[in-house]
Amino acid sequence: MKLLNRLREGNLRDWGASFWEQSSPTKRKVIATSLIGFAALAPFMGFGLLDTPVSDYGAVLVYPVGMFILMALGLNIVVGKSGLLDLGYVAFFAIGAYTMAILGTRTSLNTWEIMPIGIALAMLAGLILGLPALRLRGDYLAIVTLGFGEIVRISALNTREIGGPNGIANVPVPPSIGPIKFSLNDQKAFFWVVLIMILLTIWMIRRLSVRRAGRAWEAIRQDEDVAELMGVHTLKYKLWSFSLGAAVGGAAGVLYASKTLFIAPEMFTLNVSILILACVVFGGMGNIWGVVLGAAILAYLPERIRFISDARLLVFGLALVITMNFRPDGLLPRKKREKAIVKSTQDGI
Amino acid sequence: MKKIQAGVIAALALVLSFTLSACGGGSDTIKIAYQGPLSGGEAQTGIDEQNAVKFAIELYNATNPEKKIELVSADDQGDGTVAAGVAPGIANDESIVAVVGPAYSGATIASLPYYKEAGMPMISPSATKVSLTDPAVAGEFGGPVFHRIPATDKIQGPALGKLAVSGVAAPKVFVVDDQTAYSVGLVEYLLPSLPKASLVGTDSTKNDTADFAPTVAKIKAKGANVVIYTGYYSQAAVLVKQLRDAGYKGIFAGGDGVLNSEFAVLAGAAAEGARLTGATVPLGELSPELAAKFKESQGVEPGVYAAESFDAANIIIEAIKAGNTTRATILAYIKTVAYVGVGGQTISFDANGDSTLGFINGFLVKDGKVVSTGAVK
Amino acid sequence: MFSTLIDQFWSLTLSGIALGFIYVLISLGYTMVYGVLRMINFANSEIFMFGTFATIVISRDFLGNVDGTKSLPLPKLILTITLCLLGSMLVSGLVAVFVELVAYRRLRARGTNKLATLISAIGISIVLSEFMRIITNSRPTLNPRVLEKKSLFEIAGASFRMDTVLTIIFAAVLFVVLDRFVKFSRLGRAIRAVSMNEDASKLMGVDLNKVISATFLIGGLMSGAAAFFYTLTYENTKFNVGFTLGLAAFTAAVIGGIGNIRGAFFGGLSLGLVEVYASSILGTEWKSVTVFIILVLVLVLKPNGIFGEAVQQTRA
Repeated sequence: MKLLNRLREGNLRDWGASFWEQSSPTKRKVIATSLIGFAALAPFMGFGLLDTPVSDYGAVLVYPVGMFILMALGLNIVVGKSGLLDLGYVAFFAIGAYTMAILGTRTSLNTWEIMPIGIALAMLAGLILGLPALRLRGDYLAIVTLGFGEIVRISALNTREIGGPNGIANVPVPPSIGPIKFSLNDQKAFFWVVLIMILLTIWMIRRLSVRRAGRAWEAIRQDEDVAELMGVHTLKYKLWSFSLGAAVGGAAGVLYASKTLFIAPEMFTLNVSILILACVVFGGMGNIWGVVLGAAILAYLPERIRFISDARLLVFGLALVITMNFRPDGLLPRKKREKAIVKSTQDGI
Repeated sequence: MKKIQAGVIAALALVLSFTLSACGGGSDTIKIAYQGPLSGGEAQTGIDEQNAVKFAIELYNATNPEKKIELVSADDQGDGTVAAGVAPGIANDESIVAVVGPAYSGATIASLPYYKEAGMPMISPSATKVSLTDPAVAGEFGGPVFHRIPATDKIQGPALGKLAVSGVAAPKVFVVDDQTAYSVGLVEYLLPSLPKASLVGTDSTKNDTADFAPTVAKIKAKGANVVIYTGYYSQAAVLVKQLRDAGYKGIFAGGDGVLNSEFAVLAGAAAEGARLTGATVPLGELSPELAAKFKESQGVEPGVYAAESFDAANIIIEAIKAGNTTRATILAYIKTVAYVGVGGQTISFDANGDSTLGFINGFLVKDGKVVSTGAVK
Repeated sequence: MFSTLIDQFWSLTLSGIALGFIYVLISLGYTMVYGVLRMINFANSEIFMFGTFATIVISRDFLGNVDGTKSLPLPKLILTITLCLLGSMLVSGLVAVFVELVAYRRLRARGTNKLATLISAIGISIVLSEFMRIITNSRPTLNPRVLEKKSLFEIAGASFRMDTVLTIIFAAVLFVVLDRFVKFSRLGRAIRAVSMNEDASKLMGVDLNKVISATFLIGGLMSGAAAFFYTLTYENTKFNVGFTLGLAAFTAAVIGGIGNIRGAFFGGLSLGLVEVYASSILGTEWKSVTVFIILVLVLVLKPNGIFGEAVQQTRA
């Protein structure tokens, strides 16, 4: 009941944070290890209430659930941490996936060797887009990034050399790592790889958040002009946040192509960008655990409610409207004190 | 607080009841799946096909067989991304022994790896992409599990070209595709079959275009007298209307994507005289009797690919009737089947999964109806 | 490469202008809402979509225009056009007001972040289009012809058809009326006041909720008018018809300077023209890419769009 009350007051996140802060290092280690262990066992919990009708539970855990969490975390760096509205995030996912598909089918490189190339190309694309676009603000940035996403998709569609609308089939699966084999009908190995990537991303974000970059992003998010005046090199940090987000998207793309074995331009539409953005805001912008929870729910929900096949998306839309209306800061909002600062600056103007 | 608890209990009860209902079904039933678009923009195709599969299963179950068949609907929205999530679910569900579908080629390519690994027998009523039965195209070849009833675009492309220009003394052909895998694939086999030097231009339009003005302008500028559109019926209707309104008097032709009774309805008078092809014959034409029965049991007219879906389902039903209840034995049965389809022709499959039914039918829009004009030779 | 453009220049230009006017009306839907709320109305494409269905239901079901082979007799034609135009505007306007009530009002009252509102608007947009998809079975719906598309007269190879002429004249009139209305009417002044400074106008006694509802209503009316002309010209619709058009119209609004009514006019028309010219030169498949590249260039050179953001605005 105590938990329920907390939930109603909306500060479950604060409670979690203070609990974490009060814990001793050993206690923290125990909690972290058991949480990770629990997540790693998720593929074995596919029965009863958790099981998904029609779709395979194990496959759903990898895509959409795992992939969405990963991409939402990446987009969270851009949208949640530094407050830049990006509606073209799918472009980086597409670039990663196409890198994997092209190199995987035409060279002898394997998934792990292509991964850094995919990440580098996505980051490069982030820079190329970011340099002109990040001078813009707010909704103008949103429409330019949206346009960029469409340019990438349509260019892939129009370029016959990379399959055009046919896409690319026969992308190789990752080679085994020791005893762990990547097989199609048992996707546990894929899930563990996604989990490791998610943990790495979380680790990276947590590190950066408390360092110079994180503070600069926070300043930019709260008031860009003031940040600039205070001597924060805003464009530089915005570019950083953009290309880090892009890197995570690219990594997700590489793994996705290697998991689904077939990619086509139709997989990288604007809808994916919007869905990932919805995951970020739904869960709680700027807060890692909120984003993870939001992405997990929004990815899992449509698969779980497949039995109402026809009204599935309708329910999804309703869930978005209702949640946003009653919990506008998301399911697990960012820390109270951060919000307080924003609130007081807003009132001040 | 009470209210919340009551709410939680109600929600739990609801979820529980869904779980229980999902676990129903005894051992005296056997499951087959239909995979195709049942929601999303392409849903009509899937719903039409699934109705025919349902119809076949209902006819069989009505005979009170030892093992009744239960149908599992696998909605892939005609989309590769969704199919890649659905296929492993079907493949890993041991109780499902065969799949009718997928309906679309793109979804088929995305699903194949899972079905191949699971040894799942598949018969598609409508996926016509050539590479699916071409062993030379690694990654898209569906053998040994994939089979299909209709002839491929390798046969349809040239047939469409032939039908479109037949009777035209000096054909000037303009080809429009809609940038889908299906459309582009069909064009690939259509272009080489056209009479020499008759192609005057091509254009690619997005499959949600509303305004074809630039395309129409191009067609007029090139002075084309034959326009072939390789996309789907709803866009075809928009294009043909705009062409006719702009004063185009020549021939309009399309492939099996355009072949739909809705095309004639949507395009109205502009559709008159349009020439269409398809590896299908309307169920009503093959057997008016069966079509009437279909209408009675399903409540709707049989749609496009009804006959093919019906045949595909029946081949699997025949296999089950013959006592095969595992994927492996059903697959072996399909490999050697010689089944007499609704059209009276014997259907069997070659080593790559293509059926012996390899014909393309011609159609004409006449008085607002799509009527068959017999096989294109 | 340029042969089609040269050969069919005037005919292309005319269809670009007609398409452009439809864009103008839809982008007014985006621009009005943006002007007062500084927010993209993501559901505007669905507001438009409902208008197309309203037109068809009125013409086909209420007035019984199902024949579709030739033009209606003149009195019936005028009746049909009037009723359909008004009906479609009304339905879109009401849907817009509904969208504001459900997706925007509560969030605005609580003064929460813009993104939550954006997601809420996306949610309602999904709900609206899925609702229509389910009741139409995902099928395209036909609007039986009420107006024959005969050429009235020809200038330099461009044939002026009845539907094109109607679209251009009506849309231009609507635009001028709106422009005057926002400039001179009491409500228009209130809308501009809110757009300039929300808090100050509240202090001056402007009823904020009423003004915002009215803004959504006006934006909806414009999108509804666009929906009518669209349905008259293209004669069919589908549950997802708004997506592509909405995206294009939104782009047009941004190019012109979102929040600026005259910017929407300029943006809509130039987008219509750019689309037909680019399609005829580069091929239809490169149309959207060209549009987005132009968009990026415009914004890099003029970060607030060609006509500048709102008529009078400084971001607080």
